[in-house]
Amino acid sequence: MAEIKVEDLHKEFGVGEDRVVALEKVNMEVRGHVFVSIVGPSGCGKSTLLNILSGIETPSSGTVTITQDNRDAEPGYVFQAARLLPWRTVMDNLLFVQKDRSDATKDRCQKYLEMVQLGDKGDKYPGELSGGMQQRVGIARAFSIEPDVLFMDEPFSHLDAITARSLRRELHEMWRQTRKTVLFVTHDVGEAVELSNRILVFAKGGKLEDDLQIDLPFPRDPADEDVAVAKAQVLRKFEELDLVAS
Amino acid sequence: MSTVVTTAPSSRGGLRHVVGSPLTARVLFPFVVIGVWYLIYYTIDSRIFPTPQEVVVFMWEEVTLTSGVRYGSVVSNLYGMFLISIARLTVGFFIALGVGTVVGLAMGLSKSVDAFFHDWVMAILAMPALVWALFLGLAFGFGHEAPVLTVILAGIPFVIINVREGVRNTPKELFDMARAFDVPQNKITRHVLLPSLMPFFFAAIRYAYAIGWKGLVIAEVFGSDRGMGWTIKFWYDAHRAKGVIGYALFFIIFALALEKLVFDRLADRAFKWRPKMSAVELAEGDFGAVAAEGFLVVEDQAGIDATVSKGGNL
Repeated sequence: MAEIKVEDLHKEFGVGEDRVVALEKVNMEVRGHVFVSIVGPSGCGKSTLLNILSGIETPSSGTVTITQDNRDAEPGYVFQAARLLPWRTVMDNLLFVQKDRSDATKDRCQKYLEMVQLGDKGDKYPGELSGGMQQRVGIARAFSIEPDVLFMDEPFSHLDAITARSLRRELHEMWRQTRKTVLFVTHDVGEAVELSNRILVFAKGGKLEDDLQIDLPFPRDPADEDVAVAKAQVLRKFEELDLVAS
Repeated sequence: MSTVVTTAPSSRGGLRHVVGSPLTARVLFPFVVIGVWYLIYYTIDSRIFPTPQEVVVFMWEEVTLTSGVRYGSVVSNLYGMFLISIARLTVGFFIALGVGTVVGLAMGLSKSVDAFFHDWVMAILAMPALVWALFLGLAFGFGHEAPVLTVILAGIPFVIINVREGVRNTPKELFDMARAFDVPQNKITRHVLLPSLMPFFFAAIRYAYAIGWKGLVIAEVFGSDRGMGWTIKFWYDAHRAKGVIGYALFFIIFALALEKLVFDRLADRAFKWRPKMSAVELAEGDFGAVAAEGFLVVEDQAGIDATVSKGGNL
């Protein structure tokens, strides 16, 4: 079972007058097979948090600890844009992040390509795929290293509504099958309510303001009354915290 | 029962389509040139201006070694002169490429190295190849040094600037992705850094070759006693315009052949991941107009300065 522990995490950019606080003394703990959404207005440090957790950025102070059962794998990361190597085929993009290129590894990559319905596209270049397909490859890449923890930074925000919706469902199904711990950054409250067990609400200045549980059964349909009510409650919470206007 | 036949608009006016197509324009171009040539020939009534046939006959005699002119030495025919020029070009080109790549990489990676070399690169870029040729001819005499050094000095700023821009434009988001997945540095260098530099490197190669080739001919006119440039000068001194034009055409044919047979094929192999362009669009990447890779080197001072303030991404 994976565990993510964040203690007194602080992050600043710039010095003097240009100083910007991205995260302010954040404490949180996420454990086990949960889907946790991180929501908040632009500039609340959501992406910075993921970047620190994944090692792209270093914190100004504080500690983060990630414990995984699969100690060989780094946490997987699905980015806002797919971030594929345009000069490598789809299969080579998956192999690029693997520790080896053995037959077993290739079979594993193929399995995850099939899971995102791109089993026959392994030898295509990313430029030959649509935006939705590219993002699918990005998802398969993150799953293919079989991590216990997955980070996702607004992975559907670049896609059209219909593609985003079907990908959201596929992703959720993969999460249920593979029982991973997911940290999912989004600015879309509806998306957060549809997907998550738990929603962490961040405010401008990088403060963790609230920690909400959404106890509704999956799969959730945004048109269901319970889901709509939950969404309304979260939005009301946003208003209380004065986050909507910002 | 009646049958309605509909025709797609694109298949109507077939003749107009053929006449208006870029391919027709390309095929038509040489005929227009020859037509204009004859027009000039009959208008100016010059004794030394040749007809196209005279030039073609001259070139054929040079190729088949039947012109009877040997300039007193067995290596002085077309093939000997070409060989000398190509050897000089090759040596100069590879030195420019090697040194330029190292300097360009260093300038892209370090702001202080960039500051150190920046003005010098601009100065070398601003100097016409003709001035290098004259100066180096005076300094080194009629040997191989002046032409080879001219090739190096004419080509090297383009290599430096392109490689430097390549390093500065490396895709940060892909490096971040690799780091998030804990990919080892040597794998990042091979699969992210080097491929992202390739378009810039190819632009550098094409520029260094095209500019170097032109510089070489000028250097051979003023600072050499053999080579293609010298041969053009020989026919100029002899008042034989067909010789000047003929050798200029040899020069152009060689340059185009290398461009199409070597550089284009290398580029096709290196960039097979790119979405395909149509054949006509591909053919636009002609000798001299080095836009085929989609990256043009910034030649004006303002453009260079605009990119100086941008930090390196590595």
